Amino acid sequence: MFQLLNTFLIGITAGSIYSLMAISMVLVWRSTRVVNFAQAGLAMLSTYFGYEIIHRFDSYWIALPVAMIAGALVAAGIELIFMRLLLKHSSQGAIASIAPIIATLGLLGLIKSIIGYFWGNQDVIIESPLSNVGFTIGTQTLALSPMKTFIIAAVVFMVLVLTFIFQRTNLGLALRASAYAPEISRLAGIKVDLVRTVGWALAGAAGGAAGMLQTANGNGALSPDSLEFSLLLAFGFIAAVIGGLDSLIGAVIGALLLGLVLAFVLTYVGGSLVFITAFVLLLVVLLIRPGGLISQKAGRRA
Amino acid sequence: MHKLKATNATRLLGFILLGLFLFYLSNTVDELRVYQGATVAMYVIAISSIILLTGYSGQVSLGHGALLAIGGYGAALVRNNFNAPIWIAFIAAILLAAFWGALLGATAARLSGPYLAGTTLALAVGLPSIANQFKFLGGEQGLIFDIGLPPAWLGQTFSQYKWFFWIAALTALIAMWWLQNLLRSGYGRTWRAVRTQSVAAELAGINIARSKILAFTLSAGLAGLAGAVLSMTISTVSPGAFPLSLSFALATGAVLSGVTTLGGVIIGSVTLVAIPEIADVVAHQVGASENATTNLPGLMVSGLLIVAVLFVPNGPVEQLKKKRSK
Amino acid sequence: MIRKNRRKLISASAVIAAGSMLLAATPAQAAEQGVSATSIKLGITIPMTGIASPGYNKIPGAMKAYFDYVNANGGVNGRKITLVVKDDQYIPTLAVAKANELILKDKVFALIGTLGTASTKAISRSAQLSARGIPSLFVNTGFSGFADKKAYPTSFSILPSYQMEAKVIGKYLDDNYAGKKIGLIYQDDDFGVDALNGFKQAGINFAIKVPYAAGSQGVAGVAGTWITKLQAAAPDVVILFGVSSATAAALGNAYAYKYAPKWILGSVGGDATTLAASKVPPAFLAGAKGLSFAPAPSDSADEYIKMFMDVNTTYNKGVAFDNNIVAGMTSAFLAVQAIKAAGPNLTRKGLMSAIEKGASTFANPALTPLGYSATSHVGATGYWIGTYDATGALKPDGGKYTVYTTDSGTGPVVLSNYKRPAMPAKGLPN
Repeated sequence: MFQLLNTFLIGITAGSIYSLMAISMVLVWRSTRVVNFAQAGLAMLSTYFGYEIIHRFDSYWIALPVAMIAGALVAAGIELIFMRLLLKHSSQGAIASIAPIIATLGLLGLIKSIIGYFWGNQDVIIESPLSNVGFTIGTQTLALSPMKTFIIAAVVFMVLVLTFIFQRTNLGLALRASAYAPEISRLAGIKVDLVRTVGWALAGAAGGAAGMLQTANGNGALSPDSLEFSLLLAFGFIAAVIGGLDSLIGAVIGALLLGLVLAFVLTYVGGSLVFITAFVLLLVVLLIRPGGLISQKAGRRA
Repeated sequence: MHKLKATNATRLLGFILLGLFLFYLSNTVDELRVYQGATVAMYVIAISSIILLTGYSGQVSLGHGALLAIGGYGAALVRNNFNAPIWIAFIAAILLAAFWGALLGATAARLSGPYLAGTTLALAVGLPSIANQFKFLGGEQGLIFDIGLPPAWLGQTFSQYKWFFWIAALTALIAMWWLQNLLRSGYGRTWRAVRTQSVAAELAGINIARSKILAFTLSAGLAGLAGAVLSMTISTVSPGAFPLSLSFALATGAVLSGVTTLGGVIIGSVTLVAIPEIADVVAHQVGASENATTNLPGLMVSGLLIVAVLFVPNGPVEQLKKKRSK
Repeated sequence: MIRKNRRKLISASAVIAAGSMLLAATPAQAAEQGVSATSIKLGITIPMTGIASPGYNKIPGAMKAYFDYVNANGGVNGRKITLVVKDDQYIPTLAVAKANELILKDKVFALIGTLGTASTKAISRSAQLSARGIPSLFVNTGFSGFADKKAYPTSFSILPSYQMEAKVIGKYLDDNYAGKKIGLIYQDDDFGVDALNGFKQAGINFAIKVPYAAGSQGVAGVAGTWITKLQAAAPDVVILFGVSSATAAALGNAYAYKYAPKWILGSVGGDATTLAASKVPPAFLAGAKGLSFAPAPSDSADEYIKMFMDVNTTYNKGVAFDNNIVAGMTSAFLAVQAIKAAGPNLTRKGLMSAIEKGASTFANPALTPLGYSATSHVGATGYWIGTYDATGALKPDGGKYTVYTTDSGTGPVVLSNYKRPAMPAKGLPN
């Protein structure tokens, strides 16, 4: 019985971390129609900035917002410099479907090399600011610790803030409008280009948070070749696709679903089925709903 | 401009001349280049399979490495268990990969761009761990795929790598000949129509789903063939040989080649093989610190990629055509 | 300044000596590839970047540092050793490509320390190491197959096999924990399967086996499920037979869930330095058992470790000293001994037969006997078992290394009274 509860908690915590990555993929997709593979690199670079802050000021609590701001600035910079050029040159024809993917993969490689050049290819360590030891009920220990509680709370907070921005502010209206109908939005006086940059910046901040939280939650080790970040990217993207790439709530639901299904399959079916399970779950969801769980339009045309 | 109308016969002649040139080349360059030549031939097949899929039928695959793996394992299993000649092993690789490609294609036909990208990515992440679930696939260290020594009549000094190159180059030439004929046929036109004018194509009576599934199946078959050639060049087949980065490299090669034309495929293939080596040399000449020598190759490859996508998105061949038509 | 001049003098005289030797030798005999009168070129391909690189990417630097130390003291038979390093990212296809560059372009004399079973196998097959007679020294894999002289005539193992390790653990369990419930976390690939075979031979029955897919330890939440499974089955002793990131993840989650059985850490994952850098407090590890064939990196009383530490400080910018540094320097040390033994007229054949003939008695840091012979290319043949102390360092029990030896087959596990040859003066070839 207790194992069941702990499996559930493990799934929720993992899902929370994927959801930040999934949200940042969705934010970029909505603003520029680009699947951003450089997101893992951005998250990593932000986390390295956070590491520098921790190194200097010995405070995770300063480092976390700094990493998010750094993530936002770098992402906005990339959108301004690279993505505008890219969309100008290759928005037509067969290349349009693949160019953004290749460009962001290139950016990912570029960021990794830059990190390796400046910080080296060995692990650096980020200590978690809160205890990782689980709460106790009677003689049993929960798979929920102060650090994990903070992660879940932080994710909930960010989702609420983003929902508020999207639903209740003019900026949110502009973000939604320029995602669905850029031409009409432009005619309506919305600065579509600026709005796109803002979308990237929000995604960069979410990615920075994902990197900082994941590193503090995991082994604490950070390197440009970190396995955790490649997997965070792959699983975050898979979660976003499961949820439906156009929906923030979809991203969260997809991520939680992925986290829970993985935790239960690993515990009760087979310990080595992680990657297969992710693929099968994605396939099953897309067979039933080709546009993800939360998709606006029933059938999308190309 | 088009005074010399290319006919089937002249094109075939072109391929034969190209083959003769490669034969001549294989006898003049050193062994390392011959080995790299075999790898280039492998990339030619694999990248053209992406061009068929993406450039013609408009579908995106980030998991082609998985299809190469299926081909590689198919070839090795047939060779090892039935002692089949190499060409039978290659055909088995094509058929097996095409079969799985058809299944995947049936799913893919329902999905639009990023959803298909996600599915194929998940496949590439998930498939290699299968090798550890079944004993006959040989686990992490994989299976031996030994095509044997070159025939005795080629002489004592004829190296194994030259033999690999001959087989790989001949395979690539045949595959290219078949593919360019296919793309010129009604199928090629249908795919283009489906990609550029899907609504019109549907109105014209084209079954879009079937056309997409066919493209996926054929592309998978080519990928399987490439996988068999890849396994031949490393004499083994193991899950580690088909990482996510291979799938990404193939997509990259397709963009460098120009994703809508078959003509540039050699450019992308040579670049994929040559750039890491060139970057390595440059890094060691420039780099003072270990951080620099370790990271400079990655930096150069990524940088080149970004420049190519930003400024020559449709590939050098299209770019030239555009210039000439201006 | 004086030291520098002396070095120059030594190298100058070495050049003269080597030169006169060449003159004395019969003319027109083509030198072996990668060997000149003053230099020997070795090559290594290893993951320097990519997901498998952390930790292992320190090995080439450690090798280079020891070679530089030897070179600065006159080299081997007057020849200085250079090491060409290539990055294969742990991808077999790249490993073959890089090995070919090393052999055909850089024209190295021998390969050393290739890493990973799949990569090493692919290199050996595709680059036809045996047909060309190219030595592949001290491969970094615990797969027992590379010690098989018939299948891989030019490859030499150094690490004891995973099977040996499992058998040694099995013997230890039999002696100390008979009748207790045993649990196991293992990587679900060849690495783990080899170990499972060894445990089976040792007659160990597990109350619970927790497999994990290679790489999945990096997926959020995965390592947590290992611990909940173990908690449910409640074994008395748990063996962690995974790579270091997985071992750290397992211990980290066990600490979070206040789960504390008796731990036994396999040699691959039990690197104290890596664990100390993770979030497991060293005190949590205190009392756990660990295995190694080389002296522990923290054992600065050991003459080899002390010498390696000095070399690491002077020639390797003092990077964090851990198992990977010890492993790299051990391989380099053994290579230098072998090159020395092969004599001034260095050939590939000569090098390999020097190892077959003499390497079992070469000075080297390993605390277990080396199994090299005319018929076998097995390196270290066993392990010592020790205990992690409250600082997280692996210490021999009672201050004395208890060494078990065995083979990768059905042979028994025996307590060894092997005495390691003394280190030559200053750790230089004698």
